[in-house]
Amino acid sequence: MSTVPTSVQAPLVCWNCHERTLGTHFCSSCGKLLQLPPGIDYFALFEMPRNLWIEMGALEQKFLQLSWKLHPDNFVNASEQERELSLKRSSELNDAYRTLRDPIARVEYLLAIEGERKEGETKQQAPPELLEEVFELNESLDELREAKASGEDLAELKSRLEAAEKNFQEKLHDVDGELQATAREWDAALTGDSLTRKKIMARLNDLLNRRSYIRNLVTNVAKELAEV
Amino acid sequence: MGRIVGIDLGTTNSLVAYIDAQTGQPKCIPGPYGSTLCPSVVSIDADGSIIVGEPAKRRLLTQPERTIYSVKRLMGRGPGDVQDELKLFPFRIDPSSKNVIRVRLGQKVFTPPEISAFVLRELKNWAEAFFGETVDRAVVTVPAYFNDAQRQATKDAGKIAGLEVLRLVNEPTAAALAYGLHEKQRGRVAVYDLGGGTFDISVLKLISTSEGDIYQVLSTNGDTHLGGDDIDNLLQAFVHERILQHNQIDFSPHGELAQELRKALINVKHQLSEADTATLRFSLPNGKVFAHEFTRGAFEALVKPVVDRTMGPVKQALSDAQLKPSDMDEVVLVGGATRTPLIRHTVQEYFDRKPHRELNPDEVVALGAAVQANILDRGVKNMLLLDVTPLSLGIETYGGAVAKVIPRNSTIPASAQELYTTGVDNQTGIEIHVLQGERELAKDCRSLARFTLKVPPAPAGLPRIEVKFLIDANGILQVGAKDLRTGEQHFIEVQPSYGISDTEIERMLEESIEYAEQDFAERQLIEARTEAESILTATAKALTNPQAASLSAEERSRIDASVAALKESVAGSDYKLIRKRIDELNQATEHLAELLMSCAVSTALEGRKLAEV
Repeated sequence: MSTVPTSVQAPLVCWNCHERTLGTHFCSSCGKLLQLPPGIDYFALFEMPRNLWIEMGALEQKFLQLSWKLHPDNFVNASEQERELSLKRSSELNDAYRTLRDPIARVEYLLAIEGERKEGETKQQAPPELLEEVFELNESLDELREAKASGEDLAELKSRLEAAEKNFQEKLHDVDGELQATAREWDAALTGDSLTRKKIMARLNDLLNRRSYIRNLVTNVAKELAEV
Repeated sequence: MGRIVGIDLGTTNSLVAYIDAQTGQPKCIPGPYGSTLCPSVVSIDADGSIIVGEPAKRRLLTQPERTIYSVKRLMGRGPGDVQDELKLFPFRIDPSSKNVIRVRLGQKVFTPPEISAFVLRELKNWAEAFFGETVDRAVVTVPAYFNDAQRQATKDAGKIAGLEVLRLVNEPTAAALAYGLHEKQRGRVAVYDLGGGTFDISVLKLISTSEGDIYQVLSTNGDTHLGGDDIDNLLQAFVHERILQHNQIDFSPHGELAQELRKALINVKHQLSEADTATLRFSLPNGKVFAHEFTRGAFEALVKPVVDRTMGPVKQALSDAQLKPSDMDEVVLVGGATRTPLIRHTVQEYFDRKPHRELNPDEVVALGAAVQANILDRGVKNMLLLDVTPLSLGIETYGGAVAKVIPRNSTIPASAQELYTTGVDNQTGIEIHVLQGERELAKDCRSLARFTLKVPPAPAGLPRIEVKFLIDANGILQVGAKDLRTGEQHFIEVQPSYGISDTEIERMLEESIEYAEQDFAERQLIEARTEAESILTATAKALTNPQAASLSAEERSRIDASVAALKESVAGSDYKLIRKRIDELNQATEHLAELLMSCAVSTALEGRKLAEV
């Protein structure tokens, strides 16, 4: 599987003039707006390699440039088919921009198109190395709920939970750092052998699951604490 | 195809604007009373005819039971949502209301989109009278924070009024367009828009590219039930309390007296935008006059809660755009309520920047709508507007939780795909509940639609149905489904939880045409009366002319009888009869006109001769 976008695409037949066309956006023969050709993923749409480090200025510029071409405003007086197509194409463009702009969504998307992550996958089991701490945290949360119900003094429990929250915040920060480092490894191995790339992707996938798990924990603790 | 206009369908006032072909600048169209503001007030006469705008507003005082204002507050909402509004606004909700609210007006019952359609039709009439051409398409503005149901209701109102709504544009974005055209602004702009009933804050980035200017909305937030109306409500509650204390008069909050008081208080509020003090004098039914002097300080202390409520959304919008107040290059104030000095000062202090208010805050949204209408009509390709969806779109999952599929502030059009399968063998349907909002539980979000995906019988987990949620450029949701095993596409008819069905809209459209005919009869009557007045005046004047002495007695008495008959018909409301009597008087005065004419001609000729000499 190639991970570098190629400029060579299978020629498509235009829905309007039925000629074979090489365009990504508009038919090279009749100039009509086209369906997004198969195989054009978000990275290819922005004419970028599947790098995890993206220069934001360049991404934005390309986004604005494509928006001019694809936005439904341009097709108000066009045929119904073209109006529908422009709605589809511009929503795809906006979805792509939203995904690539966000560093976490970008990693998730990359793993999805590389076939290393199923859509919507987030493992909800605790990562093994965190088991003990998570267990303690859950106990404290239960105690807090009970104490709240019976009207006991919450000060000690509260400070214990606050400490735990801080601890997990730090872990979240560490995971983000690890993700960044692994992303750099990915970029360096972009044209390397497939085994190395697969290994990096497996690590990225683990990190994403870990991150999502810890983030949920932090949100839950913060919510419980806010109600005290 | 007819002409296209931009319309600001406001809570308090509505306006219609177009692009002046000579200057290329947007302009508001004045109505028959000379003002560009059409009060968003609708009244129904005893004979069932509909009155809109200024004359309807006057009837708030004389016939409050037959008159409705601020109906925008009810758009796209269900009876359960509006209980708070009912305490403050004189809406008479009909018991027949189920999903869609129906309000009683005189003997009839209408949905909010139908009432808004009366306002839109009035503006359409203004524009048609102005152009002398039909107007059949419009760009209509909505509060940026309007949800799907409120947007759909606005679009429905356009349809019922006989207008194709080419685009719904967010009010603050429209204002930014008008300002951008006016001042060629660049950089980051915050638009603070406090209207009669809604509050919006939008953060935009104005970018110049080689192709033209891009107005990119970065984030938006607001409150669709916060506005100048709330300031009026606070003032009204304050004075009610005083009158009750000092005079032991507790008048119904929605009666004629309350409307009169509200009007007097709005006047006080307007005065306090300029002066430091203003006095309310209000005649009570017991003959006494209630007087109260408001200082600006006391007024501001009273309305501060409303101003404070706007600041939460302002902070959220900035934080969503990952910006600080000091990152903004410009701040723009929009909406009549921003004339209140306290609001100007609060905004200025927060952003540490003097806000723009060069353009009339009442007109600026309509002007921006006209700019966008022109872009869509002519394919003007030097401007592009990229707006966002104000609320996250979500789907109910197990346990009543919500999974967000399109986050708030996503550039629209935006879409999301979700894959569904079955949990038990031969399951034939999958229930899907679509919601809008930021809360985690479905019960706390806005229900947009519920529908059942039909699935061909198969072992559990085998069917693979992809559902596509798409928010279009108007901020309105579309849903489609595809069976991935067969490739079959399903079109899903999504019945909005608080919407009106297409067949109902068709019926309303037909009824509104009947009303349009009634309106037509009413206009005919006004025109016939005006014409009768002018011919009566002309006849009276002609009879004083010395030439009139040469009329025969018979001619004279025929004229007198025709004048009397015409006067009698003008008092009635049959415009056809008035026309007939006008014709009769015209015939009766034929000889008189000739006499005057020949006299005038000879005078003119003499004049010319004299001049030639």
